[in-house]
Amino acid sequence: MKEFTYTITDPVGIHARPAGLLVKEAKQFNSTATIIKGDKSAKATSLMKLMGMGVKQGDAVTVQVEGDDEEACAAAIEKFLKENM
Amino acid sequence: MALNYRKCAEEIVSHIGGRDNIAQAAHCATRLRLVIKDNGKIDRAALENVDGVKGMFENNGQLQLIIGTGTVNKVYAEFLSVTGMSEATKDDVKAAAAAQQPVWKRMLKALGDVFVPILPAIVASGLMMGLIEALGKVYPEFANTDWYGFLDMVANTAFAYLPVIVAVSAARVFGGNIFLGGVIGLAMIHSSLLNAWSVGSVEIIPTWKLFVFTVSRVGYQGHVIPVIIAVWLMCFIEKRLHKHVPEMIDLFVTPLCTVLSTVFLTFTIIGPAFAQLESWVLAGAQVLVHNPIGAGVMGALYPWTVVMGLHHMYNVIEAGMLAVEGGLNTWMPIASAANFAQFGACLAVGLKARNARTKAIAVPSSLSAALGITEPAIFGVNMRFFKPFIAGMVGGTVGAVFGSFTGIGATAYGVTGIPGYLTIDKPLQYTILLALSGGIAFVLANILWKEEAVEAVPAEPTPVPVVESAAEIAGKTVIRCSSGEIGQPVIGKVIPYTEIPDPTFATGTLGQGVGIEPEDNVVYAPFDGEVSSVADSKHAIGITGPGDMELLIHVGVDTVAMKGDGFEDFVAEGDKVKKGQKIMTFDRAKIKAAGHPETVVVLLTNSDDYENVQFGDGI
Repeated sequence: MKEFTYTITDPVGIHARPAGLLVKEAKQFNSTATIIKGDKSAKATSLMKLMGMGVKQGDAVTVQVEGDDEEACAAAIEKFLKENM
Repeated sequence: MALNYRKCAEEIVSHIGGRDNIAQAAHCATRLRLVIKDNGKIDRAALENVDGVKGMFENNGQLQLIIGTGTVNKVYAEFLSVTGMSEATKDDVKAAAAAQQPVWKRMLKALGDVFVPILPAIVASGLMMGLIEALGKVYPEFANTDWYGFLDMVANTAFAYLPVIVAVSAARVFGGNIFLGGVIGLAMIHSSLLNAWSVGSVEIIPTWKLFVFTVSRVGYQGHVIPVIIAVWLMCFIEKRLHKHVPEMIDLFVTPLCTVLSTVFLTFTIIGPAFAQLESWVLAGAQVLVHNPIGAGVMGALYPWTVVMGLHHMYNVIEAGMLAVEGGLNTWMPIASAANFAQFGACLAVGLKARNARTKAIAVPSSLSAALGITEPAIFGVNMRFFKPFIAGMVGGTVGAVFGSFTGIGATAYGVTGIPGYLTIDKPLQYTILLALSGGIAFVLANILWKEEAVEAVPAEPTPVPVVESAAEIAGKTVIRCSSGEIGQPVIGKVIPYTEIPDPTFATGTLGQGVGIEPEDNVVYAPFDGEVSSVADSKHAIGITGPGDMELLIHVGVDTVAMKGDGFEDFVAEGDKVKKGQKIMTFDRAKIKAAGHPETVVVLLTNSDDYENVQFGDGI
């Protein structure tokens, strides 16, 4: 399992559009990516759950990736977060 | 475990500085809204931890505590009792009163809710029927033409099959499956049953022997109340079954058991109870009609018998009167007085109402009533507001007593009101009768009935929409997939998602669906489901529906930048929503002023998971 933490810098946080892009990114891989903030967590492929977490600017989220292509998946998500969030 | 409303209210009061610190208290669908005198006395941390408070924020000088649908009103009631604030403000009292209306008022409201959506159908039929029957009486040769036969068929369709229309509407109001509701309605007028309208001409009524019950094989043509009760029962059974039947077999077990048990109970218990009531009413009416006091009583009770759907039996009385050599139908003036009084009351509402929708319903309904078809006026207007109904009863009583004293009568039966002139023996006295009953009802309704202000949530500047349009608009399907249908959440022009003015939405990254160029500012829930997310910036709501359909309703493009200004949500995460329920309002002017497209984005975010996703305007 791969795990990393990222602090959101985008002023609107993980909202509809960025969340949708994140879902699109995560769906390219076989691995299961989970986004965790505090006691809430969501699969990176579930748009509703992601939005329901209400991640805002300054929130630190933990990303856990598990699966046969977890290396690539984690790297892609991390890259996506850095570029977009 | 259920929330302890009392404890919740007490804790809230203690954390906002006690009752002396509260200026005003009200609630909306999900929140307790408080105006606090000194905000410094609020213990925010403690408030958030109160059991039952799901969240809190401050907005427009209000402290809003999110408590949840169906719970907030109970907490509010306790809140009032804890603080002794029930007399504090008018708006508070109003809101509290609405939530605690007596049963009979809620029943009347349910009746109105069932009838309002179907009014177009019965108003059209009522007017046409009145005109065609009148023409047939004036020109007897017309009654033998093909045209008469054809027009008569078109005109009476809605009434001949009224139970079906009522059943579908009732199923929607009571939260059941509308198609199952339709089945109940159809079963009640099935062609293998005798037609209730013609049952008087049959010597022996055939029956079925089911267990200990003997079921008369008679349909429920013209009935309303038994149908509504049956559908209410159906919805009750259906909802219970949905809850308890395992999902795997739910699809066939629930509808099967629901329909079977409902129809069985309808024909064995509900129906016979009404048949008994009918025969009592008929026996009573036959006694009453022969003296002026009795006629007066009948004039008052007549509209009630229309409500119960018992009025179609009166033909039996009328036919009996005419069958006697030289007999005169003295029942008809009573019915005419009662009907014309409903016309007067309904017309008063139509002329006095300022609400365009009320006016639009009341005026044509009153015309139909003047022609003797009172269902639209009674169910759509007078009964709903109730006071006009009372006015109609008074007018009907006076008219009926007058009719009985003057001894006027008709030489045929079947028509009342204006067409009644065709059959009445003394037109002058009949004119006075109509003027008396209609006039008194009109004046009384004018005095008694006051148009209630639109039910606005206190301290809420946003206009509250007309409820009827919600049901209509959410009834239009814009997205359909293998798991179900999604209604149109906002009034406006529907465009495919590919035309939404934003690349992320238009490319389908967030799923397939539609955009709506809004013509209104209210978002309605497009299906029954659960709110899975509400954006902090209030402009987007996610709802999870049947078959795990995940729907995103996102008002405007880039409107997240408005940080909630101009948006108001009426639901919170975890709330259950019903199709057609108001969930959000938005300020179109503010969206425009901020320079954003106001397109409402409606996307099935997990459309990849379904087959045959279709979308578009009214598919």
